[in-house]
Amino acid sequence: MTTDPRHIRNFSIIAHIDHGKSTLADRILELTHTVEERDMVEQVLDSMDIERERGITIKAQAVRVMYDASDGQTYQLNLIDTPGHVDFTYEVSRSLEACEGVLLVVDAAQGVEAQTVANALMAMNAGLEIIPLINKIDLPAADPERVRHEIEEGLAIPADEAVLTSGKTGEGVLDALEAVIRRVPPPEGDAEAPLKALIFDSYFDEYRGVVALVRIVDGSVRKGLKIRMMATDTVTDVEEVGVRRPANTPVDELTVGEVGYLITGLKDPALVKVGDTITLAKHGATEPLPGYREVKPMVYTGLFPIDGDQYPDLRDALDKLKLNDPALVYEPESSHALGFGFRVGFLGLLHMEVVKERLEREFDLDLLATAPSVEYHAYLTDGSMLTLHSPQDMPDPAKLEHIEEPYLKATVLVPPDYVGAVMELSQNRRATFVNMQYLSPTTVEMHYEIPLSELIMDFFDQLKSRTKGYASLDYEYLGYRPGNLVKLDILLAGKPVDALSFIVHRDKAYDRGKVLTEKLRGIIPRQMFEVPIQAAIGGRILARETVRAKRKDVLAKCYGGDITRKRKLLEKQKKGKKRMKSIGSVEVPQEAFMAILKVDE
Amino acid sequence: MGEPRGVSLYLHVPFCASKCAYCDFTSVVADPRAPVPPETLHYVASRLPEGADLGDAYVAALLAYLEEFVAEGVLADVPTIYVGGGTPTILGKRLVGLIEALRALPGVRGDAEVTLEANPDSLDAKLIEALLSVGVTRISLGVQSFDDDVLRLLGRRHDAGLAQGVAELLAESGARFSVDLMCGIPGQSLESWVETVSRAIETGAGHVSVYPLSIEEGTPMAARVERGELADPDPDEAATQMSAAAELMDAAGLVRYETASYSRPGEECVHNIRYWTGAPYLGVGPGAASMLSVALAKRTPLGARAVYSWPDDWRVRFTWHDSTEGFLACLWDCQPVGLEALTAEEASREDAMLGMRLAAGITDALAREAGVDDRLSPLAAQGLVEHVGGRWRTTHRGWLLGNEVFGAIWAGE
Repeated sequence: MTTDPRHIRNFSIIAHIDHGKSTLADRILELTHTVEERDMVEQVLDSMDIERERGITIKAQAVRVMYDASDGQTYQLNLIDTPGHVDFTYEVSRSLEACEGVLLVVDAAQGVEAQTVANALMAMNAGLEIIPLINKIDLPAADPERVRHEIEEGLAIPADEAVLTSGKTGEGVLDALEAVIRRVPPPEGDAEAPLKALIFDSYFDEYRGVVALVRIVDGSVRKGLKIRMMATDTVTDVEEVGVRRPANTPVDELTVGEVGYLITGLKDPALVKVGDTITLAKHGATEPLPGYREVKPMVYTGLFPIDGDQYPDLRDALDKLKLNDPALVYEPESSHALGFGFRVGFLGLLHMEVVKERLEREFDLDLLATAPSVEYHAYLTDGSMLTLHSPQDMPDPAKLEHIEEPYLKATVLVPPDYVGAVMELSQNRRATFVNMQYLSPTTVEMHYEIPLSELIMDFFDQLKSRTKGYASLDYEYLGYRPGNLVKLDILLAGKPVDALSFIVHRDKAYDRGKVLTEKLRGIIPRQMFEVPIQAAIGGRILARETVRAKRKDVLAKCYGGDITRKRKLLEKQKKGKKRMKSIGSVEVPQEAFMAILKVDE
Repeated sequence: MGEPRGVSLYLHVPFCASKCAYCDFTSVVADPRAPVPPETLHYVASRLPEGADLGDAYVAALLAYLEEFVAEGVLADVPTIYVGGGTPTILGKRLVGLIEALRALPGVRGDAEVTLEANPDSLDAKLIEALLSVGVTRISLGVQSFDDDVLRLLGRRHDAGLAQGVAELLAESGARFSVDLMCGIPGQSLESWVETVSRAIETGAGHVSVYPLSIEEGTPMAARVERGELADPDPDEAATQMSAAAELMDAAGLVRYETASYSRPGEECVHNIRYWTGAPYLGVGPGAASMLSVALAKRTPLGARAVYSWPDDWRVRFTWHDSTEGFLACLWDCQPVGLEALTAEEASREDAMLGMRLAAGITDALAREAGVDDRLSPLAAQGLVEHVGGRWRTTHRGWLLGNEVFGAIWAGE
């Protein structure tokens, strides 16, 4: 049965993190009887444990609900839940491309925040109808009038028709669906034209291979047809098409305007790329849909198994994760200090944290992560360019013409009282102030250009702590710019530890070296011998600290009754040592490798 | 089939007049003159004379439990007895009766070493005389320090003068006695410590023990450290003090026979040496620990438990529930708790670890049997142990870094 496109609405819910997007989605599923109350688990669309625990969405989801509207008609609503984090901006943009409208959720107490602005802009640029939703009106601190004002002033979106909702109680949720039907335009498209389907996400099913989530822009698709992925020029047979309610439900055909899944039967996720266009292998479309690009990692880190024997397990685990997370890239890396591991590229810090956590939890690995780094471009005197993903790749300074590093356009939203604090932090982080404007009397929007390498150094936590949690941050990629960058080495007991090296601006090298050696002195426990810690550029020592030798470490009384307890203490001590990495003869706790991120200035 | 080495006996007396600031041992603040708790087991209560009190009931309970072990043949040969606490001397003359009864147990050797732990504030000339007359051979006096500021910080009930006086009484009585000291106390200067050690030596004690203070979770002292009122003990200062003590004792002819124990030759505590050489022992009292061969444990009421299925060459260690009321209220049903099996391999590894506390160290044969010889060589390279005349021994440096040595032997690395 084909649905008349006039009875289809494709929309997405967008919000700043924690503004209640997933709970609202839950209520929509419940109130449209897509999921019965008894089967309801919280945040149905966040299927990963980590998503539920952290209240974040990592994978996009699409679910079809049937809604009997007040006009007496039944509508097919396709709700596309998007990742809420700036790491996944490209994925969000593709998901929005599959919609005609969005519900822009704003917390009734928190008001407009940085990602609210960023998401709204993205929706505007995609030409979508924006329906503001003031959510969490059940909160005691809710102030819908103030928020309405912020939406109008700050986002220039008319908010007199903003829908007031509570995802918690369900109040206003049906009003929101009515607004979707009234205000979001039905999909347009040519049912007779050759198939054009936009891939806005994909995942790997162990039994069925790669499954693409698609929006049919033109034409239609059914089981058995031969299709072609245009960017990767891959031809395959459609094994099944269907819709998610939210369980996969096969249908005969996906037709113009519809959203659903398509089982490709392919085993290699790299062939099914987010943003690519699916068409028919024969007599297909000639032009793909616009907007496709290759996703490139922004942040790199070394991941090493604490127990070297787990290296093959780590490789298998990364291979498995990549099936569902094509943005993940990795290549083997070996470190004198840490042995064999992988240099892994991520979309951003959250992506990195999530992947590391999944590797440890789902694959039972004990991993050590080195401080994150960015991709530097090193221009050599012979005119060639090297991309550096790790400080260890830094070429000999004599051969180096100059280095460039990635910059971001960062937007900070903050109450006026904290403008000074943000200015100070940004200056410390080599950020260039661009401009600022008042979105409302209570919110200032500040624009900066900042090196990505500085942003990944604990910038967000610092921003939060210096603004008592009020500031919100959003950023987008700007481009590469030259910088006076040097590699700073850390030496333990006189030997450089490659995994502790990092690339830093020359002006910051002394301060960072000093703070880091002090930090390391606090982190590295006293050993059987004295351990000097030095920071150096090339052969020049910038800072030195010493971990004094341990002189005394004894058990107290050890008579009959104490023996079992003391033995347990010794076992615990041994376990503690096992969590450390032996570098030469120095036992180094894991946190040492991340210490550089925590250099408060 | 008896144990060739016999079974040592430890009796725990949990009562204290007050709790010291650092103490996390099983003890209760209670007056032995308090009435007999109504829940006390009838079997015990019915034997008590008119007007008996908590202290009497406790002694009667100890003896009642012992009767059971005697009946099962566990105590057929008892070479040493140790009465510790808590504060055993708080029992006063009741203690005399207890020692008398212990001496009368059929398995107790005529030349058995009988040690009593004593606190200066509950020991006087009369009690010393009475105890010696019923067969106490050794008294271990909890002095801790001869510096009044330190004693106050530790929350001890005596001052330096009283400790000195009681030590003199012991010396006059001709009893073998030990002075127990603590070092590494926050704020104590090296001078103060040297004076404490010197005064301990001057008492004429044939035995001195020296332990560094460790801050145990849940104690008032830990709370003070937590609140920042008290500095954490400085391990470097403790190391300096331990080394200073070793030198002073050596000069005075007190030989270090164990990491924390010094004695004139022949005045070593045999009971403690047995703990460190894998000899079996039976502990009775709240929180008391026992270690028996499985063969022997099968004869105890434990035999009905998991022990039943374990091989005879394993060892079993068990700990009594630490409630004093519980100890008085039920003979067997609710105790002991903390049952632990040591396989033959674990047992010899534990013997190796504990043996390295002793100056004599361990034999090559034991190191091999315990499978730790390859763990000892790296320790020797670090100067923590040495291999001399077919024995492995801990060096002074190794004793200061005992956790490294014992940890490596027990847990590897």
